[in-house]
Amino acid sequence: MTKSRREIIGIKSVSKIYNLGDTIVKALDNVSLSINENDYISIMGPSGSGKSTLMNIIGCLDVPTKGTYKFNNEKISDMNDNQLANIRNEKIGFVFQTFNLLPKLNSIQNVEVPLVYSSLGRAERSLKAKKALKIVGLEDRMSHKPNELSGGQRQRVAIARALVNEPSIILADEPTGNLDSKSGTEILNFFDSLHKAGNTLIIVTHEDSVAKRAKRRIEIFDGKITLDE
Amino acid sequence: MNKIIKNILIGFSAIRSSFTRVFLTSIGLTIGIFTVSIVTAAVSSVDREFAKSIQSIGNDKIYVGRMPWSFEFDWWNYRNRPEIKEESLDYINQYSEYVTQSSMKQNYWTKATYENKASWLQMNGVYPNYNDMMTGTKVVNGRFFSENEWKLQRRVAIIGGSVGEGFFDGEDPIGKKIRLGGVSFEVIGELEKTGSFTPTGSLDQVIIMPTTTFQRILTRWTWNEFVLQIDPNNREKAKEEVRMIMRVARKLKPDEEDNFAVNSADAFTKQFNQMKIAIAGMGLLVTSISLIVSGIGIMNVMFVSVRERTKEIGLRKAMGATNSDILTQFLSEAIAIAIIGGTMGILLIRTTLYFIGSAIANIDINGMGSAIDLQMDLLLTFYTFMVCVFLGLIAGMVPARTAAKLNPIDALRHE
Repeated sequence: MTKSRREIIGIKSVSKIYNLGDTIVKALDNVSLSINENDYISIMGPSGSGKSTLMNIIGCLDVPTKGTYKFNNEKISDMNDNQLANIRNEKIGFVFQTFNLLPKLNSIQNVEVPLVYSSLGRAERSLKAKKALKIVGLEDRMSHKPNELSGGQRQRVAIARALVNEPSIILADEPTGNLDSKSGTEILNFFDSLHKAGNTLIIVTHEDSVAKRAKRRIEIFDGKITLDE
Repeated sequence: MNKIIKNILIGFSAIRSSFTRVFLTSIGLTIGIFTVSIVTAAVSSVDREFAKSIQSIGNDKIYVGRMPWSFEFDWWNYRNRPEIKEESLDYINQYSEYVTQSSMKQNYWTKATYENKASWLQMNGVYPNYNDMMTGTKVVNGRFFSENEWKLQRRVAIIGGSVGEGFFDGEDPIGKKIRLGGVSFEVIGELEKTGSFTPTGSLDQVIIMPTTTFQRILTRWTWNEFVLQIDPNNREKAKEEVRMIMRVARKLKPDEEDNFAVNSADAFTKQFNQMKIAIAGMGLLVTSISLIVSGIGIMNVMFVSVRERTKEIGLRKAMGATNSDILTQFLSEAIAIAIIGGTMGILLIRTTLYFIGSAIANIDINGMGSAIDLQMDLLLTFYTFMVCVFLGLIAGMVPARTAAKLNPIDALRHE
């Protein structure tokens, strides 16, 4: 069991500082964090604690003001917009609280969105999208539009979209926040199975029940990590 | 490359989902393209008509009259000038080196009647040799009047190309008696139909007769002109020479201004080119205004589109879309709107021209024009298409750049 796992994310003394005219806000203050392959992590914290900022930096949507961030040993903090877009496309799968599916597209087309920005052909894209939808158990809802699906089903389409490029990590921001408890539990069970299948998961939440499922719990307060166990 | 095409397709598919809006916006461009085409068609057809008219005025003729052929008509100055008198022509014939042939041409509008039909036509009193000097038309039926008929003041008439149609319902006009100013004339000849106009009216609406008859029967109060045959290479010298002779004939003192004008087709061309430039200039102004307005319309709709889809942009960026991916997507959306508008404009102008064309086809005698028109149209269609692409590109640039520069975090949070 104690097979040493590869480090995917290495954050060293990272700070994110916002200069709002006369006040300076330290959203992240000298944070260090290491995340390995097949980690199952929950990040908790009250609103304004900096957990969204940490999430954005991990997700390569934002770059730190200070410190270094290495993803698969590549230095993210020095990258330009196009390189960041490339990393997001290939290595990171996002799952959002509000699902963020495109309403005019059906399930397959929604799952195909990340593949459009890779260099795959049309046939290959559709094949991969179908495979991802099969994993989340929606093979019979492939040509449905989001408004024809239940909340839980929508989130599963969103997860399929996150999985479709076989990313190194899956980042979920309050994935059950907009769901009833039954669908929420379904989604969380599904995350458990993704973990067992070897995926690396990071879930940002403020629900204890969600955090308990994770194997590692990180709490953040005022831009500092207060707990990591 | 593949990626660019994918982004273009995403842009195009956005059109489908907001079709009403796109359709309404593109109508602006439809009108713009329609104006461009109408102006171009108008200028080129006026040009063609003009070339025909110039031909009938003749490159090898100069005309002496009271007034210059000008659109800047100084009526109050010209109206008091004494009439051009037949005697002056004798001076020209006697002293001019350049004039090889000459004829008097008197103009008068009067009512012509045949049985129960009546029409206002232009009477021309000319000399017998005018037959050799006519340009752009000739007697195709019957004959011109003879020297004797001129001397004897015979009531004979040669009718213009479209006079016969109105009066005789396709019957042969030769030998028919028509009444001009209440006096009966015999039609002895018919001119070829030209469809062109000159500074003094259409060549197809004239009735030609001997000057002698003209003066005896109709009136002495006429609009007189001398038609002078010259070598076109010496036109300027001939004009200057004739001017000097006319000054002498009209007994003008050295410090007096000319009270007559020596005209030729080239002066008319100059005037006409100015008019053409004015028409084209106005057209260009109207056109560019309508293109700018439709460009602003497209830009406006693109800003709405970007705003409406801010969240989509954020999502696409989170999923790995680069700035240039988003730029391409929105630019192609703008270009698509422009192309839709342009295509509708081209279709509209094509249909309009088709209907106008089939109406005109009956009048068009030499079918030469239509073949040239078709070629011009294809080229024009291509240019129009390029203008649309260019306009879409310009109008879409600012909104598309706004979209491409959006910060994904803010865009995702946008509701």
